[in-house]
Amino acid sequence: MGGKLERLVEIALRDVLDPEMGRSVVDLGLIYDIAATPEGQVGIVMTTTIRGCPLSGFLKEAVAAVAAGVDGVATVEVTLTYEPLWEPAMIAAE
Amino acid sequence: MPTASLSRWTMSYFAAALAFLLAAEALAVAGIGYPAAGLAEPATLVVVHLMAIGWLSLAMAGALLQFVPVLVSRPLAFPALALPALLSLVTGLLLLCGGFAVLAGWINAPLDLLPLAAAGLLVGFALIGLMLGATLFNVRPVTLFSRFILLGLACLAATVLSGAAFAALLAGRGGWLGAVALLPDGLPFHALLGFGGWLGLIAFGVSYKLFVMFMMAPEPPARRVLPVMLLAGLGLALASGGLVAPFAGFEPGTALVVAALGLLVLASGFYGRDMLALYRGRRRKALEINMLGSLPAFAALGLGIVLLPAAVAGGATDGLIAALVFLLALGWLGGLTLAQLVKIVSFMTWLETYAPRLGRGPAPRVGDLVAMPRTGWWFLSYYAGVAGGGAALAAGGATGFRWAMLFCLAGTAGIVAELARVRRLSEIKAADRPVAQERPRMLLARIDQRSPSHVDSRRIASPRA
Repeated sequence: MGGKLERLVEIALRDVLDPEMGRSVVDLGLIYDIAATPEGQVGIVMTTTIRGCPLSGFLKEAVAAVAAGVDGVATVEVTLTYEPLWEPAMIAAE
Repeated sequence: MPTASLSRWTMSYFAAALAFLLAAEALAVAGIGYPAAGLAEPATLVVVHLMAIGWLSLAMAGALLQFVPVLVSRPLAFPALALPALLSLVTGLLLLCGGFAVLAGWINAPLDLLPLAAAGLLVGFALIGLMLGATLFNVRPVTLFSRFILLGLACLAATVLSGAAFAALLAGRGGWLGAVALLPDGLPFHALLGFGGWLGLIAFGVSYKLFVMFMMAPEPPARRVLPVMLLAGLGLALASGGLVAPFAGFEPGTALVVAALGLLVLASGFYGRDMLALYRGRRRKALEINMLGSLPAFAALGLGIVLLPAAVAGGATDGLIAALVFLLALGWLGGLTLAQLVKIVSFMTWLETYAPRLGRGPAPRVGDLVAMPRTGWWFLSYYAGVAGGGAALAAGGATGFRWAMLFCLAGTAGIVAELARVRRLSEIKAADRPVAQERPRMLLARIDQRSPSHVDSRRIASPRA
């Protein structure tokens, strides 16, 4: 997540809040990777706290919509993965 | 990727369960059942079965229909059976109470109500078992969590089948059982398998998963949890042995009950250790009402399960044994279920209402749907009633027990009102509530509108276009 566009997308994703904790998907460690091409094609790899989370579809859609709203982003591809499995240690310290 | 969603009829299961709980508590307040009647008398059996089947089993079934698919990440198998199962269970339970009312001489009707009731309950529970079992077997390898549920379902089968045999005997249609003396010797095993196996063991298994989720705690490794299942499984196998022993010509004695309970004590000890570890390792520091409201339930489990085998072994009075069973049923299972219902109902309601708004601006949090600290006061009333009721039963105070049950009834009624307010989004500012026709319905989840069609598409064009 080193480039400028990646950084902008990450900042934007801090607005996608988990409804339980009220913390962002970034703080919770749910965003595994953000990659962007110079043409503005953004790929995001993310997870959910549990595999069958009823919220996963909504979270994925919200992440895609918010990332797509960032200036310079042309397309967004969000991939859900459970490799590695999320664990509470991935939550950023408050 | 397969994902789980909302269970359509879970809210209806919860509503029916809470209605039966209120009814059972109201009967107890009115002085019907133990201690005014004997432990095995029909009046007591009405109250006990309203609690065990009407309240605890329906709430458990409704919660499992929602959470088993989530926890194994597979859609529920045969979801269309959820409503027939509910109707069958409710009909069976009402017929059962009718049958007991005939036995008690309250109404005049054929005793065949009892086997008819058993048929309704058998069908209902079989449908629940089919939905959950088929969902769990769809996932390979079968996980430890699935084994907890499957073992609990096996205990449910043993409980229902033994109950059906009792119903036939009570109706005078037990001739096919020959000279086998199932009643009253089978009763403690029937109760052990129902409360300890179907309700207790599954509560153990589910709480590992749910508390990890609710408290953001690290999941304990399977090898750490395994002793809980093995010890409880062994204890419940002994209880099943107690049910079938009369068929082999053995007379199961108190020793077998004590041995089964002793193994459940050990299982509970390991379980308690794990719950404490989850609590200590949680990332979510502030406890929500569902966890705070569960703390007295754990205390009731600790006290009840340790003292019950000692009381049975020591030949304690009916009053003391009733007090301990009461503590386990209303304090542990009932309290835990009420507390988790607050969480499950608010989470499902949030999901129906606000999930599509995720990332599109401010939305309330799940916890915002629950009125605090008012909900906490209702729990206090409920648990004060449980503590007072247990003490009154142990001391043989029938009037004290009725007063205590009034506190349970008031607490439950308050919690039911709060749950209805959660469904109505009463705690949310009017501006943040959706328009009336998009609000959650009281008894039915809106599964049809929960997700726009493009949710699962991998590539989303820029919305600015």
